[in-house]
Amino acid sequence: MFGRSRSWVGGQGKSKNIHSLDHLKYMYHVLTKNTTVTDHNRNLLVETIRSITEILIWGDQNDSSVFDFFLEKNMFAFFLNILRQKSGRYVCVQLLQTLNILFENISHETSLYYLLSNNHVNSIIVHKFDFSDEEIMAYYISFLKTLSLKLNNHTVHFFYNEHTNDFALYTEAIKFFNHPESMVRIAVRTITLNVYKVDNQHMLHYIRDKTAVPYFSNLVWFIGSHVIELDKCVQTDEEHKNRGKLSDLVAEHLDHLHYLNDILIINCEFLSEVLTDHLLNRLFLPLYVFSLVSQEQSEDRKINPQVSLYLLSQVFLIIHYQPLVHSLADVILNGDLSVFTVQTEQSAHKSLSNAGVRRFTKPSESLERSLEMSRQRGRKRAQKRPNYKNVGEEEEEERGSEEGPEEEKEKAKGTEASSKASRTSGDTEEIEMVVMEKCRVSDVSTLTEQNITDEEKSAAAARSEGQKSRPFLDMFYNALDCDTEDYQALFVLCLLYAVSHSKGINPELLERIQLPVPNQDRNSYSQVLVERVIRIMNQAAQPDGKVRLATLELSCLLLKQSVLSGSQCIIKDIHLACLEGAREESLHLLRRFYKGEEIFLDMFEDEYRSMMNKPLNVEYLMMDASILLPPTGTPLTGIDFVKRLPCGDVERTRRAIRVFFMLRSLSLQLQGEPETQLPLTRPEDLIKTDDVLDLNNSDLIACMVVSKDGVQAQRFLAVDVYQMSLVEPDSKRLGWGVVKFAGLLQDMQVSGVEDDSRALNIIIHKPTSNPHAKPVPILQANFIFADHIRCIIAKQRLAKGRIQARRMKMQRIAALLDLPVQPSTEVLGFSQPSVTSSLPFRFYDQSRRGPAFASVDKVPGFAVAHVAQHNPTSTSFTSPPSSGPTGPCDFVTSSSASTHTVTQSQTGLSLAPSLTPTPQPTISLLSNNDAETLSVDSLTLLPPASPPRLRSFSTQSSVQDADEIICAGQTEDDCMVAVDAQSQDDRKDIPVIPEEDEASPESGHLLSEETEDLTKAQREVPMTQPETDSAGVTTDQEDNPDLEEETAID
Amino acid sequence: MAYAYLFKYIIIGDTGVGKSCLLLQFTDKRFQPVHDLTIGVEFGARMITIDGKQIKLQIWDTAGQESFRSITRSYYRGAAGALLVYDITRRDTFNHLTTWLEDARQHSNSNMVIMLIGNKSDLESRREVKKEEGEAFAREHGLIFMETSAKTASNVEEAFINTAKEIYEKIQEGVFDINNEANGIKIGPQHAATNSTMGGSQGGQQAGGGCC
Repeated sequence: MFGRSRSWVGGQGKSKNIHSLDHLKYMYHVLTKNTTVTDHNRNLLVETIRSITEILIWGDQNDSSVFDFFLEKNMFAFFLNILRQKSGRYVCVQLLQTLNILFENISHETSLYYLLSNNHVNSIIVHKFDFSDEEIMAYYISFLKTLSLKLNNHTVHFFYNEHTNDFALYTEAIKFFNHPESMVRIAVRTITLNVYKVDNQHMLHYIRDKTAVPYFSNLVWFIGSHVIELDKCVQTDEEHKNRGKLSDLVAEHLDHLHYLNDILIINCEFLSEVLTDHLLNRLFLPLYVFSLVSQEQSEDRKINPQVSLYLLSQVFLIIHYQPLVHSLADVILNGDLSVFTVQTEQSAHKSLSNAGVRRFTKPSESLERSLEMSRQRGRKRAQKRPNYKNVGEEEEEERGSEEGPEEEKEKAKGTEASSKASRTSGDTEEIEMVVMEKCRVSDVSTLTEQNITDEEKSAAAARSEGQKSRPFLDMFYNALDCDTEDYQALFVLCLLYAVSHSKGINPELLERIQLPVPNQDRNSYSQVLVERVIRIMNQAAQPDGKVRLATLELSCLLLKQSVLSGSQCIIKDIHLACLEGAREESLHLLRRFYKGEEIFLDMFEDEYRSMMNKPLNVEYLMMDASILLPPTGTPLTGIDFVKRLPCGDVERTRRAIRVFFMLRSLSLQLQGEPETQLPLTRPEDLIKTDDVLDLNNSDLIACMVVSKDGVQAQRFLAVDVYQMSLVEPDSKRLGWGVVKFAGLLQDMQVSGVEDDSRALNIIIHKPTSNPHAKPVPILQANFIFADHIRCIIAKQRLAKGRIQARRMKMQRIAALLDLPVQPSTEVLGFSQPSVTSSLPFRFYDQSRRGPAFASVDKVPGFAVAHVAQHNPTSTSFTSPPSSGPTGPCDFVTSSSASTHTVTQSQTGLSLAPSLTPTPQPTISLLSNNDAETLSVDSLTLLPPASPPRLRSFSTQSSVQDADEIICAGQTEDDCMVAVDAQSQDDRKDIPVIPEEDEASPESGHLLSEETEDLTKAQREVPMTQPETDSAGVTTDQEDNPDLEEETAID
Repeated sequence: MAYAYLFKYIIIGDTGVGKSCLLLQFTDKRFQPVHDLTIGVEFGARMITIDGKQIKLQIWDTAGQESFRSITRSYYRGAAGALLVYDITRRDTFNHLTTWLEDARQHSNSNMVIMLIGNKSDLESRREVKKEEGEAFAREHGLIFMETSAKTASNVEEAFINTAKEIYEKIQEGVFDINNEANGIKIGPQHAATNSTMGGSQGGQQAGGGCC
């Protein structure tokens, strides 16, 4: 817009220096020649004004004589003169922009004083621009904002005139406080804050006495109108269509609260006082709080209880100004309806104007008119009675009454402030209106008024007695009932959370009603609250529970807050029992969803990560408008999973998992027990890059790793229990290796490379906690092996490693859920974590850090495993391809050193049940399984878990444990028999399988076969031991037809 | 002046990185940058053309208002585009980008287009932040990136206009709800073509003065 007129003056100026006093003099000359704006000289004038700005700023930075000239010639007057002629938008905009630039770039305080010194700026501020033009409006308000940023204790005198009670910058700005354009409103707020920030008592007293009441009452009305609109938006919503608009309105409300908070934290006491009075008595109490309990039919009720709970939570989360939030909390938690009626009695013998104090009513006149009137009145009274003296007197009065009870003090303040209000506005019409309003209130509540006021009197006398009626608090507790929905319960929990975390609320108030105060020692808690909260947990654990995850998480937070006192848990046994009941329910719920599907494990771990990584942030939760609408189940709304009900089986599973996690963690924490079983793999147990491992006796396959971007590296591939790693030899110690990469087998994809039989393409994805995020590969490379045999062996190892890793984890989950693990598992000593809960990790640690790196080859054949392990000199280690069927070394490593004799290792095996959890089952699981499809369904499928039968299972498993212990001391054969019988029993115990899954009978069959295979393998141990790996291969082939096939192809 | 859309921008970044200079350079070319004059502005508007459509850009600098949480919050929310500026000669201004971005992401609507700008590219000799670093940061956080110089006017046009193009594309894709002015986008007045310079009708609730 400005670009076009590269100008006139520029042309002449080019010959000499544009930035000089001389040039300014020339500009002055131009101005004197063109005092009248015409179509012809418009462009010239615009450019002249612009150039003058440029020179002035240059002068401010380089040559002060420029300013002297500017002042001497009173050049500002020319600007005003131009402005006052109806010179049109073009000139107006240029002038405003010029002024913006001028005031913004002036860096020297003295230059600024010069510019402000002769009141021209105030004349420009009060100039009636055409504010319907959005560009002029924008430049104008920016100009005011720029000026407000220059305000300080000195400059304020150029804007605020004590004698005439004028403060145009402020009063002109606040007239736009409700401008439809948001940027204008924001600028107005900035200006007001910049003004309040200036510590000038006279100016602030002026603001308080002349403008605060009109401005704040209008502001409060403006906020309230938005709230009513917001409520209407919730009421009229159908099918969540209003969400866009609703989220804007919510954001707007948050903006307002933040703005109010910004004013309050400037901590200008007497401004805050007026604001607090208005907020409390004209907005929060009459609109928000009153709506909590009023009858639906009542026309008094302006907004819905849900909306009001939601908004009140926001208030407490954002505003911490003590006088405000404490009084508000006191009414909510401790007060009753009398706060709306008691005023009536008081007002009878105080001033009439007091009556309407706790009403949400429209200010009787517009802000502009109020300002105008107060300005005129101010002029009249100014000489007689300076306002600030009045204020001083009142403050002294207040100090006197400070000893009184909290509530009375508040009322006193309210009264005072409002009487001030009436004094300043002094409008009889307004008072009458308010009185009429008041009469209507008392009519409505006549029925209850009598009782309430009586009670109020006695309660005031003995407040600490618990019998006081607390309708708001009662309403909260009632709303915590989630039988049909948790719509209100979520808000109540948020509100209680916010109140208990508010810095502005005196902890004594919370303690009086036994609300939890975080990090405070106490010895009792609110039984009502705890019971209700535990009930929510119970409901959440029901199959068709209507409790959202966010509600549950908040319940857990509040419960912890209530019963944890320092490091002590003061929960009563009965409540703990109820909680344990809920936890048990959640366990049963999750069992229903437990499936052998691959995805279950992924979901399980994913939910755990989500829960740990993204703990609930209540402030963010209460910024989300979507929870204002009735809870829904469909993800099509785009509402976050934790804020809605589950949809479909997958989400129901996820929800069950999450409920289980939360209640488990809560229960452990309250009982002071550490979590030992979750996460399934702890990061500290995993091999990390740059670890140095002893790889003697490990199976290593040399390969060339070609990453996606073409970088090549020679590495050795090793497969551990949960991970595959790429190592390079350690230069310091022979047989040791440095890990260059380690990734979880479970997240790995292996595929062949089309035109190279020696190569594999391997992708490992990073575990992600966001189910919608694109998986990020942490490794994506081609592995090229020496020949295709090694390639196939590597592929098999990885594929089986993957299955095994997943299996092991599935069994950990099963154990966590007290589900029976596979019969074959029992044979080989998978002990239930319930017996030795922390052992899996210890075991794993040993296997990892022990002398022999456990390169686990997932090929079945336990006997062979032993062969390999106990013949360190065996060629199997030097020739990886033939060492395929090496057993799960991790197990062996843990139980016996490689130098052990066979007998020793047997002992190790027998001892294993108590020590080793996981590796063994994989042997059986892998055999007869299709290694290519990596399906685990048939084998991990479990009978549907109806609780009674599960219990029988668990007793059985304890019998098994006993068996195993016996086994440990007995011969293998005995042990085997016991096991066999066990597996028979188990098969009998799976009657529902045919209905459940067609593959199941087969799997049952397979299980028994496996058991046999394994036991055979065990028996073979002594015999196979002296043999070489070729025997191992044979065994393997017997065990695994698939592998046999592949080997045949080789 | 008639326009099809109005886009509201904000400029954010540490003080002294040249935000207001960039803004002045873009909105008013008549202020020619010279060595002994630093000059900027906090608000500016300019018309550009994209795809044959007149688009008005309104740019609000948020400088000096950081101390009020409510103000920054509201500014972010009301903008369709943000220029996040750092100074290539001051490493610390680059290091603070994460904080700025977090703030922006938290408060703005999710569709806001953010452009990362490394300003003062004319001061090559004093450079502390490599261009590659800026590019990497932008890539990592999904921003558009450019190095500019308010002094030489290099890339200044492009920075503002490319951001506008991105917003315009999002409108075409239907990502932005253009009927919701809270997004920082406004549709031009339908019959704006008729009123040339004089604000014709007295709309709105303001008692507009009759002048101009």
